[in-house]
Amino acid sequence: MTTPTRSATSSTRPTPPSKWPHTIGLLVSLAVVILAVWLVDANWIRLADLPASIGNYIVLMGQGLTHNPLEVPWSEYWVLATQRMLESIQMAWIGTLIGAVLSLPLGFLAARTVSPAGVVFVTRQFLNAVRALPEIILAIVLIMPIFGLGPLTGALALGIGSIGTLGKLTAEAIESIDPGPVEAALAAGARPVQRMRWAILPQALPEIVAFWLYRFEINIRASAVLGVIGAGGIGSLLSQLFNRREWEQIGITLVVIIAVTILVDSISGAVRARIISGGGRKLAARERHDEASAIV
Amino acid sequence: MIRFSDVSVRYPTGTLGLDSIDLEIPDGQFVVVVGLSGAGKSTLVRTINGLVPVTSGTLEVGDRMVSGAGKRKLRQLRAEVGMIFQSFNLVTRTSVMNNVLLGRLHATSTLRSLVGAWKASDVELAFEALERVGIVDKAYVRASQLSGGQQQRVAIARVLAQEPQVILADEPVASLDPPTANQVMRDLQRINRELGITTVVNLHFLDLARTYGERIIGMRGGKVVFDGTADQADDAVFESIYGRSLTAADVLPGDEEPAVSTDEGLAP
Amino acid sequence: MTSTAAPTRGPAASARPRKPAPSWALWTGIIAATAITIWSALGIEFTLAPLFTDAARGWFVIQEFFAPNWGFIFQVGNAWLETLSIAVLASLVGCLLGLIAAMLASKVTLANPVAHQVVKWVLSVIRSIPDIGWAFLMVAFVGVGSLAGILALVMFNIGIIAKLTSESIDAVDPGPIEAADASGANSFQRARWAVYPQVLPNFLSYSLYVFELNIRASIVIGLAGAGGIGNVLLVQLGRFAWENVSAIFIATFVVVLAVDLASQAIRRRIA
Repeated sequence: MTTPTRSATSSTRPTPPSKWPHTIGLLVSLAVVILAVWLVDANWIRLADLPASIGNYIVLMGQGLTHNPLEVPWSEYWVLATQRMLESIQMAWIGTLIGAVLSLPLGFLAARTVSPAGVVFVTRQFLNAVRALPEIILAIVLIMPIFGLGPLTGALALGIGSIGTLGKLTAEAIESIDPGPVEAALAAGARPVQRMRWAILPQALPEIVAFWLYRFEINIRASAVLGVIGAGGIGSLLSQLFNRREWEQIGITLVVIIAVTILVDSISGAVRARIISGGGRKLAARERHDEASAIV
Repeated sequence: MIRFSDVSVRYPTGTLGLDSIDLEIPDGQFVVVVGLSGAGKSTLVRTINGLVPVTSGTLEVGDRMVSGAGKRKLRQLRAEVGMIFQSFNLVTRTSVMNNVLLGRLHATSTLRSLVGAWKASDVELAFEALERVGIVDKAYVRASQLSGGQQQRVAIARVLAQEPQVILADEPVASLDPPTANQVMRDLQRINRELGITTVVNLHFLDLARTYGERIIGMRGGKVVFDGTADQADDAVFESIYGRSLTAADVLPGDEEPAVSTDEGLAP
Repeated sequence: MTSTAAPTRGPAASARPRKPAPSWALWTGIIAATAITIWSALGIEFTLAPLFTDAARGWFVIQEFFAPNWGFIFQVGNAWLETLSIAVLASLVGCLLGLIAAMLASKVTLANPVAHQVVKWVLSVIRSIPDIGWAFLMVAFVGVGSLAGILALVMFNIGIIAKLTSESIDAVDPGPIEAADASGANSFQRARWAVYPQVLPNFLSYSLYVFELNIRASIVIGLAGAGGIGNVLLVQLGRFAWENVSAIFIATFVVVLAVDLASQAIRRRIA
């Protein structure tokens, strides 16, 4: 048994596997790209001017930063940009909170390990439908007519828009927990709600809260879009400034956006890392995957 | 008294898990079930608390009928039958105390359990259970910070907090190193003797079965092929249960007193 | 169970510990979250009252929405094709540049600690500008039209792809890298043959996510004058032509869902 005897077939050299599927895939992709280039009707010539025009505008925007930030009117520009950025953060926070509260029960309803198949199917379709719509359409259709224009409308749109992804990720976190403790609770005579509270939630909650924070980071960026239609925050300011071509003030505003976003991202990232590592589980790979799906 | 009368279990996949089992386990007995994986020992243990439903025949635990019981009846039965698992099945992200209190859920109202407002008497029971397995000092430590042996003792405490009449243990030491395995088995034996709780344990290792089993049940192909005392269960009996000669792998390595000779263990 | 039988373990183990206070981290977290919530709710003047007082106004618009102008969906077919084309091209270019940036942002593939830190900084600056911000900038740089849309999405995609992929690269199995080093590979060969094959499945999966994302984002950036269906939406909104907006709304839904299903199918084949 210990001496491996080589069979006759293994000594003949194999023919290389067919490359046709690969080639066809490549050709189809190429065709799609060519079609896209043809359809898009972009003014490609302008690409040549791009480096020069980037240079020009960066100089223009940079001039805004060279003025003394404590002097009027420059101090006002810095303050205004910061105020509007904070307003965006407020919108994003309330929106995320609304999304979190609404998505938690939906996550349980959409988890195959918890809910019956029919309920799972209906809930998942609902979540997919919400996920398919950009927040801006939600804002225009559902919320603006009732709540008018303003940051509240933005927050509600972000909240409803967050339900789709948060619900889906919550369901996935619930499905991927260790089923052992659930079985143990079942064997100890626990009722369904008790199993959710003591066997499922303690395992899944850290990940779910991490998703909430991650969604908050995304919602800050998304709030900028809503600002363009008049929901306030940094988006409204950007939209006004670009319309008026106030390059120096745009430069100041962009610096504020970059600084505040990086600051909030790193705080939120540190909190997420702390929450996830609390369980001592190695989740790096999973977390990355979840980040990818949280964006969508 | 646990009584199996002509009990069969057929899984939805068509596999026959148990094949007309007739068995009586009197109160307070320490029973060890042995057999290869797939022989039906896990199924046997899991029918006792209804985790695996019986397809035909009748199964009684005390004065309760397990076969054909509804959800509510099953919950009442499970309150009285505790279970210990191979992989401990602790919620590792929460404290040892909360894990032990999981054993009190059956006696806690849904509302109370939602907010974690445990009754003082339940917390007292949990403490006593932890004291009995000797890790009360870890009560407020996260379960994830314990070693395997400690985690299994927490699982035993969870079962004790249930105040059960029967303890089921499905391969409780398969994930543990030999000295820890012996310690956990000794804990189970002591609890069985001190509290008189009927105990049914699945084991893979023969020497552990012989050392701790008051009664040994051998299973093969869903049937009971041996039922007797530890003394009666010699190598020949085990070879008939396993359907092959014994090998070194069947004995817990590094055990103080290897009970089985392993000379012929090189065969296939 | 009776508690008369004495525990048989040592005395050290039998001392009951006191229930510890919740950790300071948890308290800080709860207090901070509550404070931010109150601050935010006051800041945006949170109220649900209009839901009860102004629901009728919403109902009027919703009624308009239930009578979509179906013909409009096909009238703007070209704008849709443009949106899809923008998404395809931006995904392709953005993901390729993102992959290169990811290689430069990971210490696995770029040994120089200063260099990869600098790349990381540049990437986080790119990521912190929202998609609509890129759209405004690119419209300024190259004028109104699809090219601005493509460039804006490319920047947006580089940020996402580079971050996710470079984290995948950080986590690759170091074994093959060691093997490549041991067989005398240079750092480009090592990246190509020891790192790239390991991160390829993740990278492809992220690229699909980004493509899905681009469909939605290309509608959004159209609002800034970057071409495609977003431009059409802006015009129809300005005219309060709810029946046309509704048609765009339905078409968006169908297109996004179709792309979602297609990319799920592809992802299943990759995995």
